[in-house]
Amino acid sequence: MLFSLVKKDFLIVKKYAGIMLLASFLIPPVMLWRAPEATGAMGFTLAVIFSIFMLTQYVALKEYQYPKATTLLCALPYPRKMIVLSKYCFCLIIYGVCCLVFGIDTLLFPRLGAFDIRMAVIIFLIISLLLSFYFPALYRLGYERTKFVFVIIIMASPVLFGFLFKPENAIRFEFLDTVSTTAIIVLGVMVSLAAFSISAAVSIRFFEKSDLT
Amino acid sequence: MDKILEVSVLNKSYGDFALCDISFYLPEGCITGFVGINGAGKTTTLRSILGLTNKVSGAVNFFGMDMAGNENKIKDRIGIVLGDGCFYEELTLLEMKNVIAPAYKNWCEQDFADYMEQFSLNPRQKINTLSKGMRMKYALALALSHKAELLIMDEPTSGLDPLVRSQLLKILKDYMNRGGRGVFFSTHITSDLEKTADMLIMIDGGQIVFQEEKDQLLDSYRIIKGGTEKLNMDTRGYFLNIEENAFGFMGITNQASHVMEHMQDVLVEKATIEDIMLANVERRKRDAV
Repeated sequence: MLFSLVKKDFLIVKKYAGIMLLASFLIPPVMLWRAPEATGAMGFTLAVIFSIFMLTQYVALKEYQYPKATTLLCALPYPRKMIVLSKYCFCLIIYGVCCLVFGIDTLLFPRLGAFDIRMAVIIFLIISLLLSFYFPALYRLGYERTKFVFVIIIMASPVLFGFLFKPENAIRFEFLDTVSTTAIIVLGVMVSLAAFSISAAVSIRFFEKSDLT
Repeated sequence: MDKILEVSVLNKSYGDFALCDISFYLPEGCITGFVGINGAGKTTTLRSILGLTNKVSGAVNFFGMDMAGNENKIKDRIGIVLGDGCFYEELTLLEMKNVIAPAYKNWCEQDFADYMEQFSLNPRQKINTLSKGMRMKYALALALSHKAELLIMDEPTSGLDPLVRSQLLKILKDYMNRGGRGVFFSTHITSDLEKTADMLIMIDGGQIVFQEEKDQLLDSYRIIKGGTEKLNMDTRGYFLNIEENAFGFMGITNQASHVMEHMQDVLVEKATIEDIMLANVERRKRDAV
């Protein structure tokens, strides 16, 4: 059941999936070219944010355009809980694809640096925290009001990253080097899972309490 | 006759509208029409019994099972048609079917293929290229391909031309002949019900006005026409509504025998479902003032 619902979201975005795949492939090397002080991690983070939020928002737009389609799904033996969880799975799959694409990027553009599990977990943590706020907001406030959150995230990310990574403003992440990889992985995954669990529980509650049109 | 759906004291309120103590049942083997004017509460009632709305009080039993604890089990046995706009329009018919089919335990690919062929639908076609009538047929193909025992439809004939409407009604009859246990459909196009319905339930202002067998209902109402001089305080009380003009009056009554007893030389005609529905709406409006 979950698989079918995730597949449904991919069917909805299939028109843009190729473009987003290309974007996630191009963003890290282009960033490196335009802003040499940027790191591969920064490009990867932006690629992930763009891919996940653009596609998720497109699905939300279609569900806003065809509200009765969601009503129909809820009238079938699909539990509402499953419909919500499929959104989280959809994002996790996009994240997985982004990791794969960035892995290929690092092989083709060695200046991007190595892509290791440490980076993957830290960026997964950032994404999971963003999504953990985004989905409950989407289910509570709806597409119309949440699209401003989306615009802020999409518009602010490049500016914010550009600002943070300027040499004079540079945030030092060296402290992370003192923490063992295992600790970062365990802690990162645990916090991400906790954030997702709480967020999913809240989203399910909001969706189950909503009146479908 | 077994009851395949029983709704008891259902209440649901929105800002300025409420369903008040809705109670009715669907007998097995019947096509039941759910009539009412726009905004009467038909869609809200259907949504509420299907668990699509929040904060509903009352009991809803399908096939003798409480909806509260058996929602998915029940939905597995029901076919749903929600009218226009209930699909992701950029998907093809096949893609949308692939979204819906896995929800049902008893999905039958052969049945679906048969319906698609019967309705001349191309699985590779995009939903947004279908006409209204074709969309309705596609919705029916989806609703009927998992051995549904009960078919619930919200305004299925709305916006369809008479030919497609008559085809749809034929499909419903075929479904019942093939072993369907019941059809429940809401509509404000009452002429469709004259042809197919066995049972009628009317809702107005969020309240059930009547539930009766169609033939019995049609038999109990009459249109009376005559001169206005025949109307007085007593005889007016027999009518649900009265229209008067310079030539006389026309009224609808469900007390035809009393009218005949007290009013001679009047013309008596059979009433249609639409006449009965509108008369009840007007009567309720008048009573509310």
